[in-house]
Amino acid sequence: MPIAWRGTELRLLLPLLVLVPLGFALTHVVQTGVLDPGPLGLAIAYVAAILAAHLALVLLGHRGDQLLLPLAGTIGGVGLVMLNRLPQSLTGMSIFGADIGMAGTQFAWFVVGLVAMVGIAVFFRDDGALRHYKYTWAAAGAALLAITFLFGAEVNGARLWLHFGPIGFQPGEAIKIVLVVFIAGYLAENRALLAGAHRQIGPVKIPPLPYLLPMLAIFAIVMGIVVISRDLGTALLFYGIFLTMLFVATGRRSYVLVGLLLFLAGAFVAYKLFGHVAIRVDNWINPWADPTDAGYQTVQALYAFGRGGLFGEGLGQGLPLIGGHLPIPAIQTDFIFTAIAEELGLVGAFALLALMAALVFRGLRVAILARDDFSSLLAVGLTTSIGLQTLIIVAGNAKLIPLTGITFPFVSYGGSSLLASFVVLGLLLSISHRSAVDAEHDAGRA
Amino acid sequence: MTAEALRIIILVAQFAFVGILYLLLFAFARSLLRDLRIAERTQEAARHGIGRLTVLESPEDEPPVGRSIALGPINSMGRNVNSTIFVEDDFASATHAMLTFRGRSWFIEDQGSTNGTHVNGHRIDRPVALSYGDEITIGRVRMRLER
Repeated sequence: MPIAWRGTELRLLLPLLVLVPLGFALTHVVQTGVLDPGPLGLAIAYVAAILAAHLALVLLGHRGDQLLLPLAGTIGGVGLVMLNRLPQSLTGMSIFGADIGMAGTQFAWFVVGLVAMVGIAVFFRDDGALRHYKYTWAAAGAALLAITFLFGAEVNGARLWLHFGPIGFQPGEAIKIVLVVFIAGYLAENRALLAGAHRQIGPVKIPPLPYLLPMLAIFAIVMGIVVISRDLGTALLFYGIFLTMLFVATGRRSYVLVGLLLFLAGAFVAYKLFGHVAIRVDNWINPWADPTDAGYQTVQALYAFGRGGLFGEGLGQGLPLIGGHLPIPAIQTDFIFTAIAEELGLVGAFALLALMAALVFRGLRVAILARDDFSSLLAVGLTTSIGLQTLIIVAGNAKLIPLTGITFPFVSYGGSSLLASFVVLGLLLSISHRSAVDAEHDAGRA
Repeated sequence: MTAEALRIIILVAQFAFVGILYLLLFAFARSLLRDLRIAERTQEAARHGIGRLTVLESPEDEPPVGRSIALGPINSMGRNVNSTIFVEDDFASATHAMLTFRGRSWFIEDQGSTNGTHVNGHRIDRPVALSYGDEITIGRVRMRLER
């Protein structure tokens, strides 16, 4: 097979060589008031790591989509610039006793993620292991969920973390991918049955009960996450992914309708029964009822959006300290989009969202070009997970929906999230590689 | 270096940063648009089909005279029952010819048949590009390529 040079990918990656170092230098100049770019090692290392991933794909003869890596690299680059601009003492790890700061830690996770992505994209050429053992994967996911419920560490009232020595890990991110694999396998197998059978009740076509059961099972799992681990964002994300995949597989609006009604009913019951849900909703409806405590985060985020305006306060010039602290708690994870919107303004925030939209568009293209139902549904689910996650956190930041703690893919600080996003990217690359090779094979035979 | 000059440099760098983001976005958008156009063309082709073969003459009546067969991009023709276009005729070979759509035109290639493949009455000895309206003869079966 001749070498594919992946020229489009390289061409789209080159601007990063300017973008990320420029962001770092700009931050340094603003923070010190001296015209000196400051240390650019981390920025250059970041771009070098992405170019190395590109080179690895070329050398290993990968023929997958050429826009996915540049899009993720650009989105991640903006995120790294922002994390580098925030005070490094917020969080971070030390490696061999050396404190590498928040941006340094994020970079280390970028490297881990890129290695995982290339590994999956190149060596994961047969999806049989995912397709045939879908119930095993589902069981593994359920077990992981149960272990987290039982032994997980509690942070902010939600039980989401498992600790292995010094490294904390959020199983939710891994479960997300396992869930998509399982649903894709289930739907690919039962697609015809689900799309065909129905019972007519009045004007609505209702699928018969046996086919409604998996839907109810997923609904129960989601409610379980809400009640036991109190992780509303993840619950919303899982349910959204499930409904989207179900609709794509069957093309039946009734499933979506029934799903949304179930969701509304569940949400209402959760609001009435559980305090932690009620607090989120009340804060969303009126954060000014308690602006210094419960509504503090939301109110400060809205002020930040306002300060940013159309063109932003400028990198490193926004986010005024309140009592020696940054104005918004969790700014490096849940509220990173607010920080970007304040400093880069509407134009910068819009660019970031448009890049994300392009990534989703590209992911759906991989799904359309896939040769079999399983790969196609897998690509849809993985793409939806990235896109929906972005929507949920951005809408939460902007008080469009109740705030739920969830990360902005490729941008928020956090190893589990970053690694999961790159695994998704690797799987999409591997699916698109297979369709490209098959298409070449067809052309060769003709 | 005055504070004023520094302020201007920062402002310019700030806009350059967002500017590069938009430059990248523009480049991505162009690639995505190209995709959409290709998809549109493929959809157009799928709606109209890329072509059909109408049977003009068929002594054994398999395929029956008058039938119009919708073509995919790759069509094998011959007496082998697994052929895309199954031709039941004593003068046709098992794997007789291959009819393919590549790029924007049709090609026919003889697959080493005993009695040869004829286009508009002439026997072909290498792959030949076809136009709509050309007549193909496999054994005693005569067919016309149509849009």
